[in-house]
Amino acid sequence: MSLSVPDQIRAPGRRLVTAALAGAIAGGVAVAVFTIDGDFRTATEQVFSLGALAFGLGLLGWSGSVMAGTGIENMQRYMKTRSNWTEADSRRAMTRLIGFGLGVMLVASVSTVGL
Amino acid sequence: MISKRYIVKRLLLLIPVLLGVATLVFSILQLSPGNPARVIAGERASEAAVREIERRLGLNDPIWVQYGRFLWDLLHLDLGESYVYRRGQPVAGLLRWKFPITMELAVFGQLAGILFGIPIGIISAVKQDSLTDHLSRFGALTGISVPIFWSGPLLILLFSVTLGWFPTSTRIGSEYTAPQVTGLLTVDTLLLGQYEAFISAVHHLFLPSLVIGVYSMALISRMMRSSMLEVIRKDYIRTARAKGQGAKITLMKHGFRNALIPVVTVIGIQFGSLLGGAVLTETVFAIPGVGKLLVTVIQDGDYPVVQGIVLVFAVVFTLVNLLVDLTYSYLDPRIEQ
Amino acid sequence: MSTETETAAEERASRSLLDRLRASPFLSELLSNRLAVFGLTLIVTMAVMAVYARLFLDPEALAHTELGTNPSLAGPCGDPTVLGALQNFASCQFPFGTDLQARDLFLRTVYGAWLAMKYGTIIVVASTTFGVGLGIIAAYYGGWIDNVIMRTMDVLLAFPSLLLALALVAIFGVGLWKAVIALTLVYTPRFARVVRGAALKVLEDEYIDATEALGARDGRVLLRHVLPNSLAPITVQSTLNFGLAIIDLAALSFLGFGAQAGTPSWGLMLTNGVDNGLLTGQWWWSFFPGLFLAVTVLGFNLLGDGMRDALDPRMRETVD
Repeated sequence: MSLSVPDQIRAPGRRLVTAALAGAIAGGVAVAVFTIDGDFRTATEQVFSLGALAFGLGLLGWSGSVMAGTGIENMQRYMKTRSNWTEADSRRAMTRLIGFGLGVMLVASVSTVGL
Repeated sequence: MISKRYIVKRLLLLIPVLLGVATLVFSILQLSPGNPARVIAGERASEAAVREIERRLGLNDPIWVQYGRFLWDLLHLDLGESYVYRRGQPVAGLLRWKFPITMELAVFGQLAGILFGIPIGIISAVKQDSLTDHLSRFGALTGISVPIFWSGPLLILLFSVTLGWFPTSTRIGSEYTAPQVTGLLTVDTLLLGQYEAFISAVHHLFLPSLVIGVYSMALISRMMRSSMLEVIRKDYIRTARAKGQGAKITLMKHGFRNALIPVVTVIGIQFGSLLGGAVLTETVFAIPGVGKLLVTVIQDGDYPVVQGIVLVFAVVFTLVNLLVDLTYSYLDPRIEQ
Repeated sequence: MSTETETAAEERASRSLLDRLRASPFLSELLSNRLAVFGLTLIVTMAVMAVYARLFLDPEALAHTELGTNPSLAGPCGDPTVLGALQNFASCQFPFGTDLQARDLFLRTVYGAWLAMKYGTIIVVASTTFGVGLGIIAAYYGGWIDNVIMRTMDVLLAFPSLLLALALVAIFGVGLWKAVIALTLVYTPRFARVVRGAALKVLEDEYIDATEALGARDGRVLLRHVLPNSLAPITVQSTLNFGLAIIDLAALSFLGFGAQAGTPSWGLMLTNGVDNGLLTGQWWWSFFPGLFLAVTVLGFNLLGDGMRDALDPRMRETVD
């Protein structure tokens, strides 16, 4: 119980931001590449949609992990399935995916200013 | 017991789920080829007319503006307007009366599955490896092998056309006007005290629920059998068996509760395929629900309606699984939340 | 040195596979399961029929045949009642009757077996290939790659197969091949999950570490060890999903999103049965194509179920 930002918020936050940065770079490159092949406007639309795809999948995966976490672990107990799956791991990966998607979407949006 | 905090947490999770589904739907529609303005205007419309519709729908705005507007409308339960099926009508209003029809079918089908599946499962567990057990296994495998679009027509041909025991299609006898309170006919007729109409509605629901419930029945009976066997194998039942038949039955009752846990999970997972089965069942029995609507609007390319149906299905699926989780924690208090 | 160990490893892998097949109780267990043998019989019958249809029936003729002499529709063996059809069985021209366009329903139904087997195989082989690739990659690399792949698969798995296929058809458009692609995507996650589970078990074994230490490249390690060892769960999963894929493809055709008018596919024939033959009592339009479809699917389900039991208890942990 310290006064600073609790670790359970700071760690995912950092993960989100790092992934968003990666997404922003990837998104910028993608917009540039897609523009070579078509017009700039379509390029931003396509890149934004691809980012949204990652963002949406990430959101579903994240909530799925939180929601089904106990359920899956119980199910595995019943079925006696042994696997390395843990809720925390999967939530971390999903946080990255969400961040990445957001970064891509953000860059694609910002670049539409040039329209 | 189930804490309020847990329920609130689970309900809050609906937000990312819906945002995720909405975002996926948005991005997939963006990425798929085809111009919605062209769909609305029709194949032969002039280029200028298409441009005009594009402008009116805001398809020329930057993509993030379109995304924002899409989410903002959703927040206000505005699912857009139908392009083709009922041109210009709000999708939300369309689904308001179509959706209960499908829910009613799915719930009755699931009930049929539970009512038959659980006893069959218990019997084959108790009489393990007997002829009954083998027959129920064969029956379950047959149940999941028979397509709805075959069992449905055959039942109609036998019971409706040849024997005349059941109506062939629709939801209620033509002599009754369907009341519109909740949209669930069986509930509405009871609420309004129209008992004859209620009986007619149940009569119409019987064959479709049976057809759609067979798959659940098969899965539930198999799951019930294996989890019941597991419980029987456990020590305390064995001890009870040693003590004599009477004690065995008492403890089987205790075992029943434990055996139900995996079954409840199956019921939750199963509910999604029930919605898929509804598409086929409604087509066979000419029931004007969301399933039949989905087929029509996909054929028409009426994307706002497709999107609305997908979102509604996602909400229902999540809520059903929340319900399943709550039942789960009720049955098995050891599960930490 | 390196070639020596390679051939040794190869030898060991092939020998162990053969030995396992011969020595393991799997086959004898499976063959003692009467339901599974029955399922296998059904599948073989359908497969023979499919090959016959492919070799001796002309799909063009089946799509357009005008029976010439008497183009009006007829019941099975010329009688619209079940009893009448059975009585006339000896002098039967059209054992399954004819359809609205006066086409021979028997030949069309037999040809349907070829279509179901062909497209079922394509869907299962394609989704197995993708699933094996994704599952092995997920298991081998672990970490975030594993999580991203498997979570995506889980999201896809959360959708009921027919609804997901319908959503994909809404994007891809209508047509038999598009339906096949949609179903391939729908079925891939199931294989990915099974293969990942099986591969993880193999990777836990020490000999992978040993091979890796000897300098074998990633791809070789994966294919040489993981694939043969996860063959069993993959086969079971393929068998179980073969039937489901056939049903789903027929369902898409039935709803008008798969095979197009004229194609002698079971799903389309059932559409005709429901749309035109239900209220007027042409029961044979629905009965025969649906019977063949159900029997084929039952065959795969019986065999798959038997295989799963025969591989028990090792299998229960990895399949479903």
